[in-house]
Amino acid sequence: MPVAEPAEPVVAEVEPGRVRWDPAERRARASQSFWTAVVGVPAIFSVLRLGVEAGGELQTTLLLVANVGPVNLLAGFLTTAARLLSTGLVAVFALGAVLAVSADRLPPGTRRRPLFARWADITPAWVVLASFLLALITWPLLYLPLLLPAFVAAFQLRPARLHERVMPRLLLIGALLAGYGWLMLPTMRDAMRQGDEWLVLALIVVPPLLALFVAGPLPGMVIRPLASVTEVAVLATLIWAAVPVITTPVLPLTVTTVGPESGPTEDVRGHVVTTDDVNMVILQERGGVRYVPVGLVRAQVLCPSEEELPRHQLRIHDFHVEDSLLEGMGRRVRPVHRIDAACRTPA
Amino acid sequence: MNSGSSQSRLRSIASTLAVALTLVLAAAAGCDSREEPDLPSVQEKMRETHIYGQSKLRIGVATNEPLMGELRNGQHIGFDVEIARYVAASLGYEGEQRLEFVSVATEDRIPSLQGGTVDLVVSSFSMTEDRKQLVSFAGPYFVTTQEVMVPVRLKDKIRTIEDLRDPAYKVCTSGGSTTEAELEKHQVKTFVVKDVGDCVDGIRKGRYDAVSSDESILAGFLASFPKEFEIVDMPFGTSELLGIGVPIGDPALRDLVAFFLQKSYEQGRDGDASPWQTAYNRTLGPWLKAEKRQPQPLEVPKLVDFDDKAPAK
Repeated sequence: MPVAEPAEPVVAEVEPGRVRWDPAERRARASQSFWTAVVGVPAIFSVLRLGVEAGGELQTTLLLVANVGPVNLLAGFLTTAARLLSTGLVAVFALGAVLAVSADRLPPGTRRRPLFARWADITPAWVVLASFLLALITWPLLYLPLLLPAFVAAFQLRPARLHERVMPRLLLIGALLAGYGWLMLPTMRDAMRQGDEWLVLALIVVPPLLALFVAGPLPGMVIRPLASVTEVAVLATLIWAAVPVITTPVLPLTVTTVGPESGPTEDVRGHVVTTDDVNMVILQERGGVRYVPVGLVRAQVLCPSEEELPRHQLRIHDFHVEDSLLEGMGRRVRPVHRIDAACRTPA
Repeated sequence: MNSGSSQSRLRSIASTLAVALTLVLAAAAGCDSREEPDLPSVQEKMRETHIYGQSKLRIGVATNEPLMGELRNGQHIGFDVEIARYVAASLGYEGEQRLEFVSVATEDRIPSLQGGTVDLVVSSFSMTEDRKQLVSFAGPYFVTTQEVMVPVRLKDKIRTIEDLRDPAYKVCTSGGSTTEAELEKHQVKTFVVKDVGDCVDGIRKGRYDAVSSDESILAGFLASFPKEFEIVDMPFGTSELLGIGVPIGDPALRDLVAFFLQKSYEQGRDGDASPWQTAYNRTLGPWLKAEKRQPQPLEVPKLVDFDDKAPAK
């Protein structure tokens, strides 16, 4: 879904046999569809998310719709979906560029260029660059090395472009790899020490080497199968990865301590939908809506959710490998993370 | 020409491999990002403990050991109490409403854990091999030594362990303590009472002549009666590692307590104001002869927590 914006121009491409489109008109149509997708896709996703967040209950969904502003919804969606969106775009542009440069080796008699290749052809360079920038700041650091071969592929940066003579070219590549090694060496040492982090090691070491060869062109016989397999794979991945985006909560998780001035208290774990003069409306984590009179609210704390727990105990120069550059920089601005006692209490 | 074409074929094969490998790595990364953490998380451990879902946490403390655990004007105060509060808050029990301090005498510490009347014991509880058969320990959170406290009138007469063996002096200690066993090892005849406070009362009333216990406990009584007593440094040679007692059937709770002690230890080591240091400065700190630091807890499990991604510096 998130890669739908280039979809429309393709429709235009499918039909050139029958209707000759004026290129200017085609571009106009493409741009129109692009903006429709940019606005429409997040809107549809956001509404879907509200339904999931409400626990599938119609009345709860309506309560959320009434209280969650469209701007909040869109911003909330973008913070969680930016990673998925950039992944889809990067995959399409990188594969598209490699397939495009190989397309003249297609076996004779093949009529159409692969889909991704056509998309890559008509996408302006700034869109491609913007997708990579978005990926750079939103992907977890651990996966950023994969962006190297993708970038090299998308912009067709073969080693030959570094220098026309072989020796300086090798020296330049050596220097680049050495710089990368210096950046990653402490992390790789930690990963080795921890023993079972083979995937992390592979993710750090292999992609820069792949970047040297990945730009293509590919042999004619693999183009067609590769194109079909990756089209299906990218689509499947996007659907698979969209599930967590839809199920990520729209509202922040809080624990509200409720009780009379002198008496027993109760912790309500959930998302605050709205607060007015009379009630605080809390969508409970396990389901159901609670209307808590504001006079009974004793305390309220913000809590992290268990999906935020890290899987690796590794850092790259004090940036956690599962943080994106944005998150890592944010943690530098607010370095102390206090977990309130109330967050430990069961739901 | 021929070499050029074979070179180009080689390059295209390398490209194919590179593209395929990149896709495989990307797929592996995608799967990895959806995996659960390998290490258990604090939250998972919480669910395994017997206190999970309990509305109140019951902690056994002493009520008559000044500076360590004392009940004054209905308020529990002291170093042990502050450590207990820190551990309780870390476990999700913050504030008086969610905490219940249970007064536990020295000899009742193990039975109360075994009998389930308390969830934790923080009461100058020395970690010993014998006790580890009966209860679990998280810690140490404090290292102290055994000392002897005498009234000022006897400060020149009782100076060595040899003096303690003199039947003329009545040495008092609390029952079920490590001190009792240690004195027995040195063939010192002791009068065993319920709590160290009873010994101090007895000395003030003239029933006993000396009391032996942990330096931290004695320092508390010295702080209460600074003009009446003096602590005599004797070479008992054993250090007492104070730990937090946990029911032996609840390893998850023990792990969590050890984990939170370690958290405080790491904070202190990095030079920040750790909960331990704050508790120490407010209670024992001014009364002990030598400056103390939080000891490193033993057998701390590796757990995943929400603040793991926070910058180390």
